[in-house]
Amino acid sequence: MIVVLLILHGLLAVALLGAITHQALSVLPTVTPARDRWSFLDRFRGVDGTAYAMPIVVLFALTTLGGALVYPPYRIDVRPALEDMQNSAANGVFEIKEHLGAIGLGLLPVYWLFWQRPLAPERAVARRNLTWLLAFFVWWNFIVGHVLNNIRGLLP
Amino acid sequence: MTGSRLTVFSIVFGILYVVSFYYDLALFRYYPEVGEFHFLRNDRLGVVILWYGWIATSALASACIAFAVPRTLADRVTPGLAWIIPTAVVIGMLIYERRWFV
Repeated sequence: MIVVLLILHGLLAVALLGAITHQALSVLPTVTPARDRWSFLDRFRGVDGTAYAMPIVVLFALTTLGGALVYPPYRIDVRPALEDMQNSAANGVFEIKEHLGAIGLGLLPVYWLFWQRPLAPERAVARRNLTWLLAFFVWWNFIVGHVLNNIRGLLP
Repeated sequence: MTGSRLTVFSIVFGILYVVSFYYDLALFRYYPEVGEFHFLRNDRLGVVILWYGWIATSALASACIAFAVPRTLADRVTPGLAWIIPTAVVIGMLIYERRWFV
């Protein structure tokens, strides 16, 4: 059961990572492509950011909920093993992951509000920076989650 | 909850989460080895998870503050504060968590 939950948590995280990355790049200032040729990056960021807001809220909440469900086995089995290995850095990056997950949950209401149509111009800077802040949380949590999940294979 | 109250909630949540974590103000504790929730500390039940309790404390307190703050005051919160304060909270948390890497 825990393996199924862990895989589901990972799959939700992949979807969230894709969505928030699309949206975070979409809020960067637009540059008109030379000779009307669109690069991969132009297409990647050429999305309607508003369409991603609600899916990101739902995915962030569900992914964090999934993380909360797989947390007890981690606390019982993995963390003590890391402490026995005196790998405090691994525990440290996980602590940061749980804090970012929690702070991110708290940010979701204002993030959702600022992405409501019609987009308020006076909120553009805050909307962009909130999106980038959430994107940082998601990328950190994704990478740390995967590294810790594979840590026995990664460490010598 | 109106828009300005949602903004207040999000701003206050991060601050209260860090305060809950730093001062160990978990609303409840979960003991995964026995699968039990407790309001009080009970060291005989094995390892403890405080994270759920920290989130509950900050969510509950932030909701109370967001509802209690006068509407006129909530409307004066600028959009900039919605990202500046959480960013400062995250930076403060990262500085504190350096303890794991020294």
